[in-house]
Amino acid sequence: MRVTRRGFFGWTGAVAAAAAGAQTVRAIGDLQAATYEAELPPRGIEGWVASVCQQCPGGCGILVRTITGVEDGVKRAVKIEGNPYHPISRGSICPKGVAGLQALYDPDRLRGPLKRAGARGQGQWQPVSWDEAIATVVQHLRDLRARGEAHTLLLMAGQVRGLMQNLLLRFLEAYGSPNSLSTASGCEAAQQTLLLTQGIAEPIAYDLENSAYILSFGASLLEAGWSPVRQARAYGHLRQGTPGRRGRLVQVEPRLSVTAAKADEWIPVRPGTDGALALAMAHVIVSEGLYDREFVDAWTFGFEDWRDPAGTTHLGFRSLVLNDYRPEAVSAMTGVPIQTIVRVAREFTATRPAVALAERGAGFYTNGLYNRLAIHALNALVGSIEVPGGTVTQRRPPFTPLTPVTRDAAAVRGLAAPRIDGAGYPALSGLGAAKNPLASSALPSLPEALRTGSPYRANALFLYYANPAYSIPEFTRNPELLDAIPFIVSFSPFPDETSRHADLILPDHTYLERWQDDPIEATWGPAVLGLRQPAIPPRHQTRHTGDVLIQIAQGLGGTVAAAIPWKDFGEVLKESFREVAGAQRGLIMTTPFEEARQRRQADAGFWLPTYKTFDEFWNQVAERGGWWDPAYPFGDRERAFRTPSGKFEFFSQTLRQRLETLARRGPASGGGLEGVLRALDIRARGDRVFLPHHEAPRFVGDEKEFPLHLIMSKPMSLASTRTANHAWLAEIPDVRTSRPWEIAVEINPETAHKLGVKDGDEVWLESPAGRLRLRARLYQGIAPEVVHMPFGSGHGAGGRFAEAWGANPNRLVGGEADRLAGTPALFATRVRITKV
Amino acid sequence: MARWGMVIDLDRCTGCQACVVTCKAENNVPVVTPREAQRGRLMLWMTVIPEVEGEFPRVRARFTPRPCMQCDHPPCVKVCPVQAMTKSPEGTVSHVFARCIGCRFCVQACPYGVTYFNWQAPTWPKDLREALNPDFAIRPTGVVEMCDFCHHRLQHAREEARADGREVRGEGEYVPACVQACPARALIFGDLDDPNTAASNLAHSPRAFRMLEDLGTSPKVYYLKEG
Repeated sequence: MRVTRRGFFGWTGAVAAAAAGAQTVRAIGDLQAATYEAELPPRGIEGWVASVCQQCPGGCGILVRTITGVEDGVKRAVKIEGNPYHPISRGSICPKGVAGLQALYDPDRLRGPLKRAGARGQGQWQPVSWDEAIATVVQHLRDLRARGEAHTLLLMAGQVRGLMQNLLLRFLEAYGSPNSLSTASGCEAAQQTLLLTQGIAEPIAYDLENSAYILSFGASLLEAGWSPVRQARAYGHLRQGTPGRRGRLVQVEPRLSVTAAKADEWIPVRPGTDGALALAMAHVIVSEGLYDREFVDAWTFGFEDWRDPAGTTHLGFRSLVLNDYRPEAVSAMTGVPIQTIVRVAREFTATRPAVALAERGAGFYTNGLYNRLAIHALNALVGSIEVPGGTVTQRRPPFTPLTPVTRDAAAVRGLAAPRIDGAGYPALSGLGAAKNPLASSALPSLPEALRTGSPYRANALFLYYANPAYSIPEFTRNPELLDAIPFIVSFSPFPDETSRHADLILPDHTYLERWQDDPIEATWGPAVLGLRQPAIPPRHQTRHTGDVLIQIAQGLGGTVAAAIPWKDFGEVLKESFREVAGAQRGLIMTTPFEEARQRRQADAGFWLPTYKTFDEFWNQVAERGGWWDPAYPFGDRERAFRTPSGKFEFFSQTLRQRLETLARRGPASGGGLEGVLRALDIRARGDRVFLPHHEAPRFVGDEKEFPLHLIMSKPMSLASTRTANHAWLAEIPDVRTSRPWEIAVEINPETAHKLGVKDGDEVWLESPAGRLRLRARLYQGIAPEVVHMPFGSGHGAGGRFAEAWGANPNRLVGGEADRLAGTPALFATRVRITKV
Repeated sequence: MARWGMVIDLDRCTGCQACVVTCKAENNVPVVTPREAQRGRLMLWMTVIPEVEGEFPRVRARFTPRPCMQCDHPPCVKVCPVQAMTKSPEGTVSHVFARCIGCRFCVQACPYGVTYFNWQAPTWPKDLREALNPDFAIRPTGVVEMCDFCHHRLQHAREEARADGREVRGEGEYVPACVQACPARALIFGDLDDPNTAASNLAHSPRAFRMLEDLGTSPKVYYLKEG
């Protein structure tokens, strides 16, 4: 290029002008920034409030950063982080926890009590005063009781524990209704596993931190587990926590989930055959003599063939797996190569401590409970029960039980009624018990009861953190079923599908605005009691459901009021913490270092509390976020095994007892044990019924017409049904696909090719129960006969964002259930895909 | 002077995306509409990139968290015509929004794709505006934004340290929001020049590598391989 003098000056001039221009732009930029800064909330005084998250049931401790504006004096929550003192979260947090701010400041929250104005389901409301709303509830409940129909009041609760649970159950008992229903079906099934094998009706918890080998059958360890924070930390620890040792994780499930992706080995298995696979592994362990002889001999029942007092010989677990579950046969059934079965079984016994997990996946088929029993039997074979790195049971904080409720005549009459859902545990009474002999709550039976009005009509329903019209398949498709109940009260702070059918909505505070205890459940061994306290004062005219319940009870008067005599929820909360303070055990949450020091003292026999009075205790709890007792009595077998034999039972005498009692009573099914088994759709006969075995799974839909299996997952960001309205989470619904605001159906490329479907095509996903229009995404990590959809989005109500994206796979799920457990079989539906 | 850097242990990372959301909250990063998001205008200063390889049943998937790489030789700083992209004496790259003219040279220059352009003015429903972090400015339309290792948190830590008459410690006192949140402890942060910090030790681990190292950008974000 030739540079002329003139050209040179022209060029430099342009540079000078550009520089001057840049300066002007800079000045404009400063102005602009100042304008945008003005949109920020005012600066102010910073504060941190220790509380407990409630975006899922994990119970993680959080610290909420608040800013109290200097100019306007308003306290705002601006950030949520993990509480470093809380033993579950230890300073970390999951995406849902952070997004809690968007629950607190949800633009679509309910701002006060509402009365239905239009027809049910229309979503037209008219504000009422709290006094009027409570008076309406009291009036209805009083009438119901006076008519002798107290038992027709239903309580449906999802995430509820601690004092709120106690209060609600107390209210029901004093009022006279046996019908407390739970939407948490996963917990229900987990409890029954321990009930049948260990004689305790508690969910299984896992000491993951200390495991060296985790064999997981469809457990969503790194997606929707409890608590996600603790499980992720345990995973990190398993991998890189101990120098020179890297623990192994093996995931068995039909799809390469996030957990499977992070596992050392992913074993795709045919849907519903997890139990058979576990038993084939047991076959290898038993035939090669790799099991923990000491534990099996001393602490298990029914391993060898045995003879009962009457002289009959019964089948033992050893003979069962040796005869029925040869790896060759199981390999054909499960699609898992023989070598893999043998190798994993050997690894499982060679690496100690090893633990087998059975949450979600394996339990969501019609044979769910038997699958869980088979998988838990693996833990017994290697002695990983109540040992570090094995299964544990959650200890509870030392709340003293509240005084027994005085039941008046109406309550006694009401409580004598059978449960509406026919759940048979623990009473095993009523006709329905034949349907659900182990369930303490059996929601799959409720739609039928509402439809037929049998055993009786439901006249009132309380909804507390439950949204069956979204989360229970049959109600998802037919929310009108709820309209059979003439009076529905919802306590939801947010609009939701079920509340649309309510007559009254009495919105609770969000969890960032209220006082509550949060004892963790099914998460870990040690007892942990978090204190949820308001980060900011309530923003709207909402009211603590505990307080509302107390006011309703007071309005009803008599024994109901006497059962709930407190002034408000705060009073009963403090009273319960007083018990904990006086229990002379545990410690206020603190740093790991301080904890170690206090534990050493405790081991030496000194319990040196940091508090002298209750007020000191309370202040410290409020500052640090809670109380916990790190001690866990590993190896306390008397506590862990409360079966008739006092041991772990391969052969479940509890199950035998319950089924035989039912058979003797000869309810509607008739025909003794045979009749009972037929009513429960159990195909096995003889001793196998009471042993872990593979029960052929049933599926909704004809195999030819609907050739694919539908499975679901709860991705990390949607693990509760309430987070779909949080825009932060909707932008990242699934890390696997990383597509914002999109819920798609995942399909194997080979299957897609056969159907002529390409990545991103719109398709119909159709089951016998319904169909959804979705985008298809091709994924190598899914078995050819399976398709997958995430659960948690696609709401019909719940706010501007929630209603704008996603789809609800529950619309497709057919009515199958694990009859024995009384839980819905969410993965038991066949589907087909057609191009739009 | 500290040279702040981050180590990301891919063996610990579970792909939970807590880092992604906490970053949005900490830095007032706007949410874009689904339509905009589909056009690739999603703003995630920290993001987790999924990769899948292999064919059924032998498939592997990997998740890689990706913040700004905080290069020692940052291409974005070199191309910025108005010195909006700057590198501090400590080596942290940050962006002065008020200077940005929206030319997007940095967006083109960055090999990691960590700079984001505000195609629209950020909007929040009135209620959600309450939750904005008052420590950090909102960006107007036409301005680029990116991760700066939560520089305002460093300032915060520095003020506290100054009150004690000392420098900010190389570890523990100042961490970006994503590091604070990580439940699997996959993100480790500290002074890379201080041999006593976990971050500097891990950065020298045989498992350590940096993204697109051959470009000569010398990122201060290190990754640790799985296994």
